[in-house]
Amino acid sequence: MSQTAQFLRAEAQALSGALPPLLADAERLAANVAMGAHGRKRAGSGESFWQYRHAMPGDNLASIDWRRSAQGDALFIREREWEASQTIGFWVDPSQAMDYHSAKHAPKSTRAKVLALACASLLSRAGERVSLLATAAARPGFGQAKLQQMAVALADLGQSADYGILPPPHGARGGHRLFFSDFMGREEDIFPALKAHAEAGNDGALIHILDPSEESFPYDGRIIFESMGGAIDFETRRAKALREAYQERLDERSAMLKDWAHRAGWHYHRHSTGDNPQATLLWLFSALGVKR
Amino acid sequence: MIGFLSPFILLGLLALPLLWWLLRAVPPAPSRRRFPGVRLLLGLKDPESTPDHTPWWLLLLRLSALAAAIIAFAEPVLNPRAQTAGLGRLLVLLDGGWASAPDWRTRLTKVEEILASANRPVALRLLTAPLPAEGDLGFTAAQDLAPIVQSLTPAPFTPDRAAFATWLAKNPQAPFETLWLSDGIGDAAVLASALKFQGDVTLITGDSPALSLLPARIEAELLVAPVHRVNTSTAETVPLIAIGPSPDGVEQVLWRSEASFEAGQADANAPFDMPFELRNRIKRIALAEGASAGGVVLADSGLIRRKVALYTAHDSQEGPQLVDPLFFLKKALEPSSQVIRGTLDDLLLAVPDVLILADVAALPEEETARVMAWVEEGGTLLRFAGPHLAAASRDLTVVDPLLPVRLRAGGRQLGGAMTWDTPKRLRPFPAESPFAGLHVPEDVEVLAQVLAQPGPDLAGKVVAALEDGTPLVTSARYEQGRIVLFHVTANAEWSNLPLSGLFVDMLTRLSVSARNGAASADELAGQNWLLSRALDGFGNLVDAEPSTAVSGETLTSVPRTAVSPPGYYQSADREVAINLLTAETLPQALAGLPLGIAREGFETQPETPLKPPFLLAALLLLTLDILASLFISGRFSGGAQAALLALLLVPAPQAKAQDERALLAADNTVLAYVLTGDTRTDEISRAGLYGLSRTLFERTSIEPVDPISIDIEAHDISLIPFLYWPISDQQPPLSPLAVSKVNSYLRNGGMIMFDTRDAQLGAGSINGTALQRLTGQLEIPPLAPIESDHVLTRSFYLLEVFPGRWAKGQLWVEAPSNLTTIEGAPFRNLNDGVTPVVIGSNDFASAWAINPQGRPMYPVGTGARGERQRELAKRFGVNLIMYVMTGNYKSDQVHVPALLERLGQ
Repeated sequence: MSQTAQFLRAEAQALSGALPPLLADAERLAANVAMGAHGRKRAGSGESFWQYRHAMPGDNLASIDWRRSAQGDALFIREREWEASQTIGFWVDPSQAMDYHSAKHAPKSTRAKVLALACASLLSRAGERVSLLATAAARPGFGQAKLQQMAVALADLGQSADYGILPPPHGARGGHRLFFSDFMGREEDIFPALKAHAEAGNDGALIHILDPSEESFPYDGRIIFESMGGAIDFETRRAKALREAYQERLDERSAMLKDWAHRAGWHYHRHSTGDNPQATLLWLFSALGVKR
Repeated sequence: MIGFLSPFILLGLLALPLLWWLLRAVPPAPSRRRFPGVRLLLGLKDPESTPDHTPWWLLLLRLSALAAAIIAFAEPVLNPRAQTAGLGRLLVLLDGGWASAPDWRTRLTKVEEILASANRPVALRLLTAPLPAEGDLGFTAAQDLAPIVQSLTPAPFTPDRAAFATWLAKNPQAPFETLWLSDGIGDAAVLASALKFQGDVTLITGDSPALSLLPARIEAELLVAPVHRVNTSTAETVPLIAIGPSPDGVEQVLWRSEASFEAGQADANAPFDMPFELRNRIKRIALAEGASAGGVVLADSGLIRRKVALYTAHDSQEGPQLVDPLFFLKKALEPSSQVIRGTLDDLLLAVPDVLILADVAALPEEETARVMAWVEEGGTLLRFAGPHLAAASRDLTVVDPLLPVRLRAGGRQLGGAMTWDTPKRLRPFPAESPFAGLHVPEDVEVLAQVLAQPGPDLAGKVVAALEDGTPLVTSARYEQGRIVLFHVTANAEWSNLPLSGLFVDMLTRLSVSARNGAASADELAGQNWLLSRALDGFGNLVDAEPSTAVSGETLTSVPRTAVSPPGYYQSADREVAINLLTAETLPQALAGLPLGIAREGFETQPETPLKPPFLLAALLLLTLDILASLFISGRFSGGAQAALLALLLVPAPQAKAQDERALLAADNTVLAYVLTGDTRTDEISRAGLYGLSRTLFERTSIEPVDPISIDIEAHDISLIPFLYWPISDQQPPLSPLAVSKVNSYLRNGGMIMFDTRDAQLGAGSINGTALQRLTGQLEIPPLAPIESDHVLTRSFYLLEVFPGRWAKGQLWVEAPSNLTTIEGAPFRNLNDGVTPVVIGSNDFASAWAINPQGRPMYPVGTGARGERQRELAKRFGVNLIMYVMTGNYKSDQVHVPALLERLGQ
């Protein structure tokens, strides 16, 4: 098990080694830069004060800036600059569907794990806190120890259901979420869960991982298709004739995900295990680094 | 032709259309495939609603697989035995003459087949066998006849069909059917009609009747053997061999020739252009292939050209030719002999067969002695009288030892102007005379002669006399040779005998001249001849069984019968070869068959069951069907492809190049064994020679590599020093090519060890017969049980016994040709006489055999004694190979004391 973890880590580090450290949060980067280089342009103390905002019910009493509040009737809370680093939560679909692979390609789960770990490695190097949702490594952290923990957790991912179901959002709001999955499950399972995450104030990216054979559907003849767990099957007399329809449906699923991401301010990327994972890592780099 | 043992199963083929319908209706089974995208597929409709038909080729595959299986279970048989199961009685008639001999085995096989399938009373008759005395052909159950079939042999003469027809006419039979295995030669009309009268007749003949050889003759100093054939449809070349003794007395092939037939040509001559001396040694000429009594001509003096030396004291070349005493002799002898002339010294140096002294008075004493010595060694001295001889005989004090009788002084004149007597004619020759039977022409007259001194022994010396009883020709034996005196001149001076044909005949009878071709009736007439060696139907010369003498007339009457079979006949000191065929009795194609007789060929291809191949085909088709189904359902993965490929990649044939084998034998010492066709025997041979090779490697400086196997027909054996040849009755007889190869191998110093492996079974086993069959044609010298002083007993170890797995068997080696004793020790003075064959029966290979781990493979004897026997067997093996390698080197050891003694001086 730990060998697999080490393998995952080594591979992920090899993959991420070629990239510059990833600065996860563009805003923080910008602020840091402003603090350093453009600080005088901004009125303020130059401390880590950020802004005042109206206190909301439930805010900690201790966080109320009494001096500011005394100037008026409203209670203000002095928000400091967010000095804590971002938390990036990874979720790698543990379902059996992810174990599918066609003849020449690695299983989708392997690819997903490698990508996730590579990304985590980059983020960790940049000082971000990473976590693996719904596993033993769900507590955010950073550094080699954390990566090690994540790698072990990834290798330990149990095969649960046929199709993966997103874990419910919990913990700190405003984190980033990176979801690695094939999104082959039922629509009613996928989108409400995504929505919950989005509503929890997270933003993130969907990495839609597919096997080349799932994209090209190279089958013919009389075939009974089964889901990986065998729970669902479907018989066709002539598989070839279904290719168009299948690809249409796949594209539709893809489009729905993309559309949802666009509306939610998330990112969507479709990755085929037949492609080079580096391109996807680069994309992740840009998706996390550039947008904000 | 294919038959079915269970034809009813073929009805199953009717079910094929049903299967076709079923297979068409049921599509191939779907494959199951894990696919995460299945959720996306849910709800999709197959655009083509028609069911997926089994493809036509798959359908065909399956139907043919089933058809093959059905046919297989119907037990098809290639060349099924004809069902001679009819009703009533069956007569199996064989011609059984010489012309059946070339394919005799085929005929017997056919007869066995007939007997095996005939469930009714059968009689088996050879036309050459004596006719049954009783009035019945002896119909009996077929299985009672089966055991005797293999013991039938063809007779060396022509079947007497007419006699059997006559017998049938005299002994009316109940109806029977006839299967007549004919040789395809001769007139069959009478017998065929007679058989037809009894019932159905089926005539079974071979493709091509036997070839026949006619007595060879000499044409223009070339020996010519005429070959006759009946089937003239194609051009063909017939190889012939001339057989005679080699200088050491062993019969061998002296010369080869061939007769070339054009299409349509029935006769061809095979010329034997061979040296004179070699030609005189020819004993018989035979067809190289398809031997039969008709394919062999025996040679006697008719082919021998004698060397005749003519000597005259006074050279008369100046005189008129016709009075030359030698003129008529020359004329008579030159066509058939090698005539040499010269001084007596030269003539005797040339070692003539016959020396002729025509009218020579007396030779000097020294020359007389030399001539006498020559006569005693087997020469024939032929003397003719004449004026000089007559003059010499006047001196009664001198006795000429070179005359068979003493002569009276002077001669006598008959029918001259001054005599009372008329010229005398010849008296018919007495029966004991070598001239007996010759016809005496009326016009032969004698005018003058020398007279023999009467005496008690004169009568025994006279071989021809005049009317009044005076001797004309006298003869006397001296040791091996003889002296013959004609009491007249060799020219026409004293009588006209030399002018007559009788003169030539008389010379022939005296073996002075030789006839050309077969013995004529005149030559044989009047004498009784005793068969000394006879030809059997296959053309082999065998010692004749004791029989009564036959008259010369019988010998010359044609055709030959059981009374006068072909062979060598002896009378007094003369031997003539009587051959089966003469120009008058040339075989003709079978003629005179009445209508309504079915004809068949032999077709003795063995019955071949076809069930296994059909089953195999069905299995293969089904395997293909599995693959095809996999392919159809898309489950034909790369792995399956690789497996199929591996399946189809039949291991490359292990055709070991002849060169490789030869190279191995040339570069290394290698023992070899002959493949017998019996896998088990071959494996024992291999293991045995492997064990022997190991033993040699360990104990001696002979270091052989692993033994090799030899297919005696195909492989080159010239480089193998030693061949182990286990005898198995499964080994087919050798082809002529292989025979010549093995003979050449034996001549050139190779050694073969035959092992019949049956010492525990005692004499007369199957393997012994098989050995005789295999080696019958090999040039194997006379053999003798091994002597206690044979080199084999001391070539490495000192041995007294030669055990193998068995210990009792006798070991046979070449018989010693010359045994002398040197300094009290027996010494085999062999001329490099390494025996070419060793024949044993102790199953040596089993005793030598070890497995790769070095353990003995077969038990030998019991306990410690068994192990001792195995050790002795190994030692014998070492001795044997040492003997093969060093020859009679050890035999020379007897010289060691002498050599040491010489060194000491």
